[in-house]
Amino acid sequence: MNNSASVKRLVPLSKRNTGGNKTPLRVARPTLLETRDLQKSYYKKKLEIPVLRGVSMEIPENSFTAIVGKSGSGKSTLLHLLGTLDKPDQGEVWYQNQRIDNLPPSGREALRNNEFGLIFQFYHLLPELTMLENVLVPRMIGNGLISYWRNKRKFVAKAKELLETVGLAHRLKHKPNQLSGGEMQRAAIARALITEPKLLLADEPTGNLDSENGSDVLETLLHLNREHDLTIVMVTHDENIAKKADNVVKMVNGRIA
Amino acid sequence: MYKFLLSWRYLRTRFIALASVVSVMLGVATLIVVNSVMSGFVHEMHTRLHGILSDIEVAAPLFSTIAHPDQKIEQMKVLAGDDIEAVTKIVRVPALLQFEFNGQPMTTQIMLVGIDDQTFAKVSEFQPFLMHRKNRQQISFELHEDGYDEKLGFSGWHYRREKCKFFQHFSEVHQSAPVTPVQQQPTEQDFDISAIPKIESQSDAVSESGSQDNVMPGAQDPFVAERPDTVYEFNPSKDQYTGIILGMAIANRKVVDPQTNETRDLFLLRPGDDIQVTMPTSGSSPSFITENLTVVDFYSSKMHQYDNSFAFMPLSKLQEIRGMIDPLTQMGEVSAIQIKLREGADLNDVRDKIAAYFPPDRNNLVVQSWQDQQAPILAAVNLELTILNILLFLIIAVAGFGILATFFMIVVEKTKDIGILKSLGAPSHGVMSIFLSYGLALGCVGAGVGILMGILFVVYINDVAALVSYFSGRDIFDPEIYYFDKIPTILNGWTIAWVALGAIGIAVLAAVLPSLRAARLHPVEALRYE
Repeated sequence: MNNSASVKRLVPLSKRNTGGNKTPLRVARPTLLETRDLQKSYYKKKLEIPVLRGVSMEIPENSFTAIVGKSGSGKSTLLHLLGTLDKPDQGEVWYQNQRIDNLPPSGREALRNNEFGLIFQFYHLLPELTMLENVLVPRMIGNGLISYWRNKRKFVAKAKELLETVGLAHRLKHKPNQLSGGEMQRAAIARALITEPKLLLADEPTGNLDSENGSDVLETLLHLNREHDLTIVMVTHDENIAKKADNVVKMVNGRIA
Repeated sequence: MYKFLLSWRYLRTRFIALASVVSVMLGVATLIVVNSVMSGFVHEMHTRLHGILSDIEVAAPLFSTIAHPDQKIEQMKVLAGDDIEAVTKIVRVPALLQFEFNGQPMTTQIMLVGIDDQTFAKVSEFQPFLMHRKNRQQISFELHEDGYDEKLGFSGWHYRREKCKFFQHFSEVHQSAPVTPVQQQPTEQDFDISAIPKIESQSDAVSESGSQDNVMPGAQDPFVAERPDTVYEFNPSKDQYTGIILGMAIANRKVVDPQTNETRDLFLLRPGDDIQVTMPTSGSSPSFITENLTVVDFYSSKMHQYDNSFAFMPLSKLQEIRGMIDPLTQMGEVSAIQIKLREGADLNDVRDKIAAYFPPDRNNLVVQSWQDQQAPILAAVNLELTILNILLFLIIAVAGFGILATFFMIVVEKTKDIGILKSLGAPSHGVMSIFLSYGLALGCVGAGVGILMGILFVVYINDVAALVSYFSGRDIFDPEIYYFDKIPTILNGWTIAWVALGAIGIAVLAAVLPSLRAARLHPVEALRYE
């Protein structure tokens, strides 16, 4: 449905939406992630519920993109497709000029583990593990037993450094249930960064936080984007937060509006 | 890495799963205990079954005989060569045993075995089960002064003399009393009155033995009957008849004291008492013959089957009584030839060699190893053990379903965590192995603790039995039934290893389905799961 002429350039879109007082356009940036006519439906008792009806967009390197929309507009599904957590019914996802939606499971797992960092609304830390261990989990997954033990010192040092950066140096040995929401989300950010990804995918990272903690997290993300050249795609329904992004993609009913 | 870390953490934080392992633990412990006790039991039974049975026996059917046994022994020695360590000949005949207890005649059936006191003990384990320490070194059919096992109490010549003295005194006091048991004992005083007519009655009533008149051992000296004109005076306080060794259970009853509820031994006979044995003679048209014998010892193998029926007397004497000695050649016939093999000889091989020499269509001899003779009971015990093992393993299998259910619950509970791991790039097989190694860990814990419990239980099983008996007031392990003083146990390392392996295997198998379910979870759906 509606395949033709649905490719919309993100950059002009963001310029249109955010007005002239935003940072100037960074036209020179190459595209990091691109979607081509993504379609995805869910089925409820054989009843097709279309969620994405053909989404095409490009995300330039080092950009901070916000995807906004009402709940049910398909923004989370879009993020899952970008992060290879799910497969589109139709359409393609390209990452660094390589198609990734049709990769075998191992390839997509490697991508998620190494190239992408993921942050969720409900933090999604493992309750049995301490903060330090939680941050180390992606490294444990990405390495075999032997190579993990060989590099353990390096990994732990990096994890500690990251936790320190997000202000959790005093919480290394704490379990998630001993921490506040803001602290957990910052730990989740640290976890997302342990493998030094190029792309950070955030699914309503501030959605479950009070405004103070929320803006804290947002500042952290902005800082990462500006200072560490991390490409960030963030799903949010908060227009105020979206205003701080370079680009804003508005989703309405499964399409980019 | 995360797999082991997580399964370790799950193990330490999910106590409900440990509860599901309790059944594995109990199953493992029970299997170990049952196997140990059963193999202890089987071992003890083997020893005891083997005890009186020689390795190989060449036997004629009951009441029949083997002629020229020495010739056959020579042939067997040629056949089996070095494998034969010792050979003995025996005569076996069912007989009736009669004696008086408190003045009442008692008759019981026995299997009378004539043994050679020099060679019999070399062939089968016999001497260790005797009650006199000297007989344990060398069988003797002479009554000993004393020194019998303390359990028997007052026994031997000492007892015999005291008994004579008592009856003598008793008969002096009640000389006019009509029928008293005292008069069975001939004394110097009433020799002319009582002994002579009794000899007469004995000589014409040989085949009527068993009737009440004949239960008078003192009056039935065969030598007197043979030489009626010679006045032979048998003095029971100085003389004994041919010795007989009785199976303990023939003479012994376990009596429960109604007041104290304790079992005590009641001896109907003691070494030093006289008894009568009635048996058929050998050869064509057998008749019954009655012989006086003196109990000289007891045989207690703790195998009720044996202790209850066997009685042993000298081979030559038995052959003589039953008329088994050829008057011309002086060669005695026997019922069976028993062979002991040297250590390490192949039992069945030697048996087959000997059996081949006595083909069934030309001989009436049966060649059997001790295992053949006890095959039904050995097979029954083995079957029992197999079935017990299957049943108990089913318990562990049932425990496996408990683990399965618990694991499904845990997988549901951990759905979100599985989603997290998958979103962080964990492969499906990685997620699966978290739960598999969790199952492995649970199985190891269950099997480990179970083994520990089982071994402790086995080591202290007699204390446990005593404790249970103390609290329940019932004898859990009644030696009267089993004839074991203690519950015998053997811990077999391989059995333990197999049980542990089986239990761990079941725990892992039970984890397979839930693990597959976990592995198949879709990351997005798992993350969305609340």
